[in-house]
Amino acid sequence: MFSFVVKKAGFLKDIPLVAIIFDSLMRFWMFVTKPELLDWIDELEEDMAQMPETTIGIHKYGGTQFNYKGKEFAHVHSNGLLDILLNKELKQSLIFEGKIKDHHVFKNSGWISFQLHNKQDVGYGCYLLNKAYDRAKQQ
Amino acid sequence: MNLKETLYKVVNSKTVQGILTANIFAFLVIGIQSSLMPKDPGILVFSEFVIIPMLMGIITAWFWKDTRIRGKQITGHSVVNCLIAISMSFFFLGEGFICLLIVSPLIFSFIIAGAFIGRAMFKKRNQKLNISIVSLLLGVFIVDSLSDHYHENMVSDEILIHATPAEVWQHVVAFDPIYQKENYWLFKIGMPSPMATTVSEHKLGANRKCIFSNGYIFDEKIVKFDINKNLIFDIVDQPKDPEIMGHIDIKRGEFILKDNGNGTTTLVGNSWYNLHVFPTWYYDLWAESITRNVHFRVMKHIKLLSER
Repeated sequence: MFSFVVKKAGFLKDIPLVAIIFDSLMRFWMFVTKPELLDWIDELEEDMAQMPETTIGIHKYGGTQFNYKGKEFAHVHSNGLLDILLNKELKQSLIFEGKIKDHHVFKNSGWISFQLHNKQDVGYGCYLLNKAYDRAKQQ
Repeated sequence: MNLKETLYKVVNSKTVQGILTANIFAFLVIGIQSSLMPKDPGILVFSEFVIIPMLMGIITAWFWKDTRIRGKQITGHSVVNCLIAISMSFFFLGEGFICLLIVSPLIFSFIIAGAFIGRAMFKKRNQKLNISIVSLLLGVFIVDSLSDHYHENMVSDEILIHATPAEVWQHVVAFDPIYQKENYWLFKIGMPSPMATTVSEHKLGANRKCIFSNGYIFDEKIVKFDINKNLIFDIVDQPKDPEIMGHIDIKRGEFILKDNGNGTTTLVGNSWYNLHVFPTWYYDLWAESITRNVHFRVMKHIKLLSER
C-alpha cells in the first residue's frame, strides 16, 4: 500500500503537509491494526535520543526524523520503514547480508531502507541507526 | 481512593486537560464562526476539518510537552481526542453517523498530525516560531471562513441496455420498486438508496417523486420531456436528512437515451449537485462515489425492467 501510494501519488509529496497527513493516517492505521509497531518506533526513538547532539523532529515527507547537529541522518515512516543514510560501501556490504534494501525512492544513493517486521528487527534498526550516527559524526 | 480523589486526579491529568481544552476550543471556534456567519448555514469550510483539528492536536501537545509521553501514547490519546470530537459533533451539532464516518479520516489524520507537529514545535522551545505557526493557522482559518464557497459538479454515467429506446423510456420516467440487494457499502450500512420513482403524469411539467429506502422523498419537476430521447427533472424539494443536512444539494437529474440502431440503447444518467462541505478535493470524491452508485442502482434496475 505504502509503495503503491509513493509510486502513484508521490508527486504530491511536495505540497506542504500532504506527506505528513498521509503518514498520520498510516500511524492511525498501525495503531488500530499493529500497535506493537508504534512501540518499536518509540524504542528506536528512545535509543537515538540518548546519543549526544541528536535531535528528533518531523520528517518533511512524514515520519520521525533523526538529526545529528541539525542534519538528518535517518527517518522512520509510521509503517515501520526505516530510511538511513550510509555510504555506498557500507550499503553494499549490508545489502550483501540481505537484511536491507535500496532506499525505496533514491535507489542509487547512500540511503537504505529497512522494514521493521518484528521486535527482533528493533535491535538491527538501532545497529543501523548507530552506523549512520557514527558516519554523520565523522563528517 | 474515593471518587472525589479519582475525579481530582483525572481532571488534573495533563492528558485529560489537553483533550478537554482542545475540544472546548474547537466548539467555541465553530460556535463563534457560525454565529458570525449565519448567511451560510450548512456550509462547512475546509478550515473546520483541517485547521481546527490540527490546532486541537497542537493544543494537546502543549499540555503534554512536559510529560514523558511516547509516540504510541500520543497516537492513542489523539484517537481518544478524535472520538470525543466526533461524538460531540453527533450529539451537539446533529451530524449523522455516515456523515461522521466520512469525515473521520480527515479528523483523525489532522489531529494526529497536529499532535506530532506540536510535539516537534514545543521541543524546540522557540516561542516566536510557535506563535508564528499558530497565528498562520488562525489567519488561514479567518480568511477561509470569510471567503465565498461555491462548488457545483456533474456526475455522468452510462449503461448499455439490450432493448429499444421506446422500451427503456417506459421505465425511465417512473419505475417499479427496486428489490435488488444493495451492493454499495455505504448503502449497506444505512445510507438511503433509491427505491422507486412515481410520476403524476407522463408529460412536461409533471411532478415526479424519487422515493428512498428510508422513506425520504425527493420532489422533482419534469422540465424536459422528449419522448424516447431525453428526460430532465429539477429537484424542487429534498429531505433534511442528518446525513445530508444541507451539506449537498442535488439540483437536477437527466436521462439521455441513445439509440444504437441495433435494438440496443445507451442510457446516460447525469446529476448536478452543489457541495456545501469543503475541501472539495476530499468531499467531492465521496459525493461522486455516492452519486455514481445512486445512478447505477437506478440504471441497472431500468436495464433489468427493459430487458425482461
